[in-house]
Amino acid sequence: MPPPREHHQPHEEDDDDTAGVVKLISTEGFEFVVDKKAAMVSNTLRNMLTSPGGFSETRQGEVRFPEIPSHILEKICQYFYWSLHYSSGKETAEFQIEPEITLELMMAANYLDT
Amino acid sequence: MMNGGGGGGQKKRAPRIEPFRHRVETDPKFFDKSWRKLHDAIREIYNHNASGLSFEELYRTAYNMVLNKFAPQLYEKLTENMKEHLEDMRTCIDAAQGGLFLEELQRKWNDHNKALTMIRDILMYMDRTYIPTNKKTPVFDHGLELWRDTIVRSPTIQGRLSDTLLELIHSERTGEVINRGLMRTTTKMLMDLGLSVYQDDFERPFLEVSASFYSGESQQFIECCACGEYLKQAERRLSEESERVSQYLDVKTHEKITAVVVNEMLANHMQRLILMENSGLVNMLVEDRYEDLTRMYTLFNHVPDGLTTIRSVMASHIKDTGKSLVTDPERLKDPVDFVQRLLNMKDKYDNIINVSFSNDKSFLNALNSSFEHFINLNNRSPEFISLFVDDKLRKGVKEANEEDLETVLDKVMMLFRYLQEKDLFEKYYKQHLAKRLLSGRAASDDSERSMLVKLKTECGYQFTSKLEGMFTDLKTSEDTTQGFYASTSSELLADAPTISVQILTTGSWPTQTCNTCNLPPEIVSVSEKFRAYYLGTHNGRRLTWQTNMGHADIKATFGNGSKHELNVSTYQMCVLMLFNSSDVLTYREIEQSTAIPAADLKRCLQSLALVKGKQVLRKEPMSRDIADDDSFFVNDKFTSKLFKVKIGTVAAQKETDPEKLETRQRVEEDRKPQIEAAIVRIMKSRRVLDHNSIMMEVTKQLQPRFMPNPVVIKKRIESLIEREFLERDKTDRKMYRYLA
Repeated sequence: MPPPREHHQPHEEDDDDTAGVVKLISTEGFEFVVDKKAAMVSNTLRNMLTSPGGFSETRQGEVRFPEIPSHILEKICQYFYWSLHYSSGKETAEFQIEPEITLELMMAANYLDT
Repeated sequence: MMNGGGGGGQKKRAPRIEPFRHRVETDPKFFDKSWRKLHDAIREIYNHNASGLSFEELYRTAYNMVLNKFAPQLYEKLTENMKEHLEDMRTCIDAAQGGLFLEELQRKWNDHNKALTMIRDILMYMDRTYIPTNKKTPVFDHGLELWRDTIVRSPTIQGRLSDTLLELIHSERTGEVINRGLMRTTTKMLMDLGLSVYQDDFERPFLEVSASFYSGESQQFIECCACGEYLKQAERRLSEESERVSQYLDVKTHEKITAVVVNEMLANHMQRLILMENSGLVNMLVEDRYEDLTRMYTLFNHVPDGLTTIRSVMASHIKDTGKSLVTDPERLKDPVDFVQRLLNMKDKYDNIINVSFSNDKSFLNALNSSFEHFINLNNRSPEFISLFVDDKLRKGVKEANEEDLETVLDKVMMLFRYLQEKDLFEKYYKQHLAKRLLSGRAASDDSERSMLVKLKTECGYQFTSKLEGMFTDLKTSEDTTQGFYASTSSELLADAPTISVQILTTGSWPTQTCNTCNLPPEIVSVSEKFRAYYLGTHNGRRLTWQTNMGHADIKATFGNGSKHELNVSTYQMCVLMLFNSSDVLTYREIEQSTAIPAADLKRCLQSLALVKGKQVLRKEPMSRDIADDDSFFVNDKFTSKLFKVKIGTVAAQKETDPEKLETRQRVEEDRKPQIEAAIVRIMKSRRVLDHNSIMMEVTKQLQPRFMPNPVVIKKRIESLIEREFLERDKTDRKMYRYLA
């Protein structure tokens, strides 16, 4: 199993709501820092980040997914950016999905409503 | 973690289904445990304690419950749970005293909304999947319904809420200040719960209460207020309600509350307000109270038949005022003033309609038909209008400005249009125009022609063709007179008085029978020379001197040495010239010498002897009446500041009764051939027509000139039958046929 190709460097914890990043943490503890805008491609994440009432995730700016493995979470982050990039433009490039992760990916996608 | 060989191989492998990462729940307590988690979380949420909670964990719990087919139970438990919390809230709200009731309600509502949002977000997966397929209400809406049923529609709260809101509104209406923000959030809450909740729980009772409030207020005000004051109050209330709606009610209520106020304050009292004595519509019209009138128009525009009522009251008022104006014997003494008053009245109402009734066409029409109605009640209106124009077109008129004159004439044309007997007007206009032209009193050729153009535009070429002929005659006469003087040798004309001749074509000028009088010999001589000259160039014509229409300038030297030039009528000249050969003359002698008709002669002598400042002759005795033996002398003490003295202008005056009768007879005579021509025209094109239709058609055709009398039409038909233009149908006596 190839190690995750990209390992986004963890940034300093920004408790800044307006700044654009949020940290997504996989089962194994890998931390992926992505723009909030990218994260909100997932409806679940969007709800989570915009829900009133100050859940712990919004206050700390990070979300733990005990049930999503790193390689899946990584793929999902890639998907976020792919989606943002090609949603506006006229060109589309194919989003590559390795067949062996398809099922897990789909389940995560279902979970995240994305 | 993925089992089995990772390896570096990139070769494709058949997809393998991995077992679930998490433990597969066969735990019978799975549901209870999961629910417990959610239950506690919800409690924390309702207690404003959510910060410690993890969204992801709760979301995942619900997600798993749904995946494991526990959605229905979850939904049920959720419902129960929310109900419990809501019941707690209700207790708090019930406990709130007096003014705090709405505040507490609002606070709890906000809490509930926020909690509901968070709950919905956590349970988003269930909302997405279970609910649509099972046709359940989504979480958020469900939460609102629970609020509605548990709180708003609860027996303890429902009535209290409605009453509180209505009480506050009532206070505000009676002048107190209330918390509008609170009102707004409360009504907004009702709207959020659904339009029917807003309407049933608030709007309907609101409208009912408002109706009785305004019913009471209108009773109170109408007893003690004048119309203008009352309308101001109504207007005030309307804008108050408008503001109320925009501040804290739903926009759809605006129309309904306006209708209530209009109904209670205006529609129910419409007749009483408009007809109120001393302050109602009539009073406002009389006093030109523009502001009040505008207000009345704007307000009653909302009421069905409101404007119709105003319009008809105005119309009958105009008719009444107009009628009393035209039938008042005092007014009839001065025709110019009479017409001026009509013009003033028209101006007044034009202004009112323009300023206060926004130039409403239907009102203008009502004004026009009212005027038409009463102007024709007085059959001297055509004559008077012509006299008015005559006055304006004479020299020395007040409107020095040509533009002003134009404006006045245009307004007069408006009155002219109302006349039903336009042919009568034509006759008078011709008479007055002739007098103006012949006495040299017409002020401006341009103005005269401008008036003619207006008449032509209104009535067509035929109306004005003869009038234009009059102008042409004068021009031609000028040329002819010049030609006479140019061609006749000066010796023949030495010592002869200078004459200026106006040759009038008989058809164009108003006919007046004239017995020629005896002219002074000097005049006879030169006028005969002229006649010879004229007939030399115009063979086959006949000239008759109209001695009743001319005028003369005489140089006079009086006994006291004063010299003056007197401008007199032809008759007056004849009389004065007699005194060149006698110092004193009696009336009888003058009558014999001049052969002037008695009535004219008496008038003539009166103007020479009895008008202050113009007493060229002395009369003995100094009485007004002239007896046969009265004597006349030249007044040697005559003085005047001016060198040129005008005696007895031949001004147009309103006719005496016999004259009036004569004119009318002539007009009636003239109408007969016009009626006949119309009948023939109609029958020629229709061939066969029944009696009633002929009457209608004839009236329609002649209406622009005059209203034909049905009796006269019938007579004309008989006459045409006699002369074999028409015949009666043999079988149907009511049908007529045209005979070619």
